[in-house]
Amino acid sequence: MATLTLKNIKKVYPNTERTTKKRKKKTDEPVKEKANLQITDEGVVAVQEFSLDIADREFIVLVGPSGCGKSTTLRMVAGLEEISDGELYIGDRLVNDVAPKDRDIAMVFQNYALYPHMSVYDNMAFSLKLQKVPKDEIRQKVEEAARILDITQYLDRKPKALSGGQRQRVAIGRAIVRSPQVLLMDEPLSNLDAKLRNQMRAEIIKLRQKINTTFIYVTHDQTEAMTLGDRIVIMKDGFIQQIGTPQEVFGHPNNLFVAGFIGTPQMNFFNDCQLTLEGGKYAVTVLGTSIPLTDEQQAKLKANNCKPGHVIVGVRPVHMRIDPNGFIGKIEVSEMMGSELHLHLSVGDSDIVAIIPTVGLNLSDYAIGKTIGFSFSPDLMHLFDPETTNNLI
Amino acid sequence: MTTAKASAELVSRSRGSKAFRRLRENSPFLVMLFPAVVIVFLFNYLPIYGVLIAFHKDFVPGDSILNPVGGWVGLQNFKNFFEDVQFWPLMRNTFLLCIIGFVVGFPLPIIVSLMLNATRGRRTAKILQTIFNGPHFISLVVLIGMLNIFFGHYGLVNNIKESLGGERTQYFLQESAFRPMYILSSNWQDFGWSAIIYIAALSNVDPGQHEAAILDGASRFQRVIHVDLPAIMPMVSLMLIMSIGGLMGVGYEKAFLMQTDGNLGVSELISTYVYRKGILNDTNQSYATAIGLFNSIINVVLLIIANTTSKKFSNNSLW
Repeated sequence: MATLTLKNIKKVYPNTERTTKKRKKKTDEPVKEKANLQITDEGVVAVQEFSLDIADREFIVLVGPSGCGKSTTLRMVAGLEEISDGELYIGDRLVNDVAPKDRDIAMVFQNYALYPHMSVYDNMAFSLKLQKVPKDEIRQKVEEAARILDITQYLDRKPKALSGGQRQRVAIGRAIVRSPQVLLMDEPLSNLDAKLRNQMRAEIIKLRQKINTTFIYVTHDQTEAMTLGDRIVIMKDGFIQQIGTPQEVFGHPNNLFVAGFIGTPQMNFFNDCQLTLEGGKYAVTVLGTSIPLTDEQQAKLKANNCKPGHVIVGVRPVHMRIDPNGFIGKIEVSEMMGSELHLHLSVGDSDIVAIIPTVGLNLSDYAIGKTIGFSFSPDLMHLFDPETTNNLI
Repeated sequence: MTTAKASAELVSRSRGSKAFRRLRENSPFLVMLFPAVVIVFLFNYLPIYGVLIAFHKDFVPGDSILNPVGGWVGLQNFKNFFEDVQFWPLMRNTFLLCIIGFVVGFPLPIIVSLMLNATRGRRTAKILQTIFNGPHFISLVVLIGMLNIFFGHYGLVNNIKESLGGERTQYFLQESAFRPMYILSSNWQDFGWSAIIYIAALSNVDPGQHEAAILDGASRFQRVIHVDLPAIMPMVSLMLIMSIGGLMGVGYEKAFLMQTDGNLGVSELISTYVYRKGILNDTNQSYATAIGLFNSIINVVLLIIANTTSKKFSNNSLW
């Protein structure tokens, strides 16, 4: 267990001689955006301006779409990638140039990375054997880890004789047997089917109670991020978009990307909305209807010195409610999920989703092609600047 | 009765249609396989018919194989070989050359492939691999010519030796120099080429295993031992079985080219003896065929033993 400090970490993959020559032939522009990669004269920038303080025993989740730099960041912490710029501290020790084995960290890989020729026991004992730990102590530690993960009965088996979930437990066992200061997990559940993933997610939550260590967990699955993390770091294009608790990032997304990325189904966006200021009071016009904002929202907009104009309004599907006097939408798709109904509505130029509880609901009223009225509470509304994409309130 | 007959007919028809469907589905692959099957049949299976010559009294080219002019002699040619004064020297020479060659030559490509794989720069590894593969393409005659340039009486080694105050040595006339020159030159020529199959196997090793080993605290050498080597062990087992199966199958060409009156005591092998008896002087093709067949039987027995042993201990086998 240890604190971690990442100060302005940057990762650049240098251009190879061949790509440099190619680039020089093509263009003299210093910076170029290709898909979500930033290519500079130095090379491809995978992560930049990454600063984060991780408390002792905290469970941090790095989340973001593919190519956002989350795995690269984790690999820099592990020492598997060099840090191009910035400082990484584990505890009080600067570890930028410390070999991975001397960082007192362990890592669980996405594809397990178990040694196929070794038994489960040997896989788990391997690092301790290399450290020349006495045999009795190795046995004791491996058996303890196996007991925690409920894999004692598989200790003599080879990895190929195990199911995906069992292999992942072994991979976790191999990591925790060393009692590392920091446990890194790189999308450990992404190779498992949905049912097993849910089960293993619960196992990881339980594991966390049993071992006292700091976790850094990488995933692209926001459900995993929300359920596991004490704090979530949302990344995009190598930059941190927001750091916060699951409630914070869900309730107060920093920008349009975070708002869209966190939450399933994703937040509804009404693009052509106007922020108005009359008599010192802000209001927002959505689908031609002016909605007055709450006092708290007024205060935030005033504090940010927001000027009236075009804004994007975001409302989560769960915050939509049936209201015959509200906006009118046509049901395009109706998904019965058991306790709730997911209605895909077309409203003007927007397609939105509303989640409504099914208790006491007459389902025939919500068939495809019918029109319904809906509304939402202004205090659950988010306003985004269309240019900066930042949340205004 | 009629129903049972009809049902049996139906089953047989459905089996037939299933087989035909499979044949049709696989037809492109079968067409691609056809030339290989023809070649193997023509050059590997059809000549087996010729082993009957080993049971002739004295086969002369042009004789009928099934109706020999001299008649059948059963195993007499084999008995003659076992009683031949050359039998034990030939067995010893062939066996020693092959066994020493195997012991030196088998691990070499494995070591080279592991070293190339562990080389930090991919570019350096590629360059080295190309350099190592080069000698494979040198023809045998040219290789012997090179050996002459290096080890001949007026060769480079003797020149250096003389310049250092030593005396010139006739390496090609010395029995003690034959095996080292034969084995080392063979290995020099083929170690890079033989490493290709292991390099290919190593390219399939999951990089995650190396990263896991790095985090576990394994050094570069420990990673080679604990990650790379186990990954190529199935291929090593397979190559081991095949090498043991061909252990006594050393060709006559190289030994014949290196043969001199001085080293004949160690350079006369089963294969050179077969060539001498079957084609060169005092031709006795039935006798030569019997010796060749005996050699092949030894190889088949070795192959079966190696395969069974490997299957028992490592679960890897040819069949």
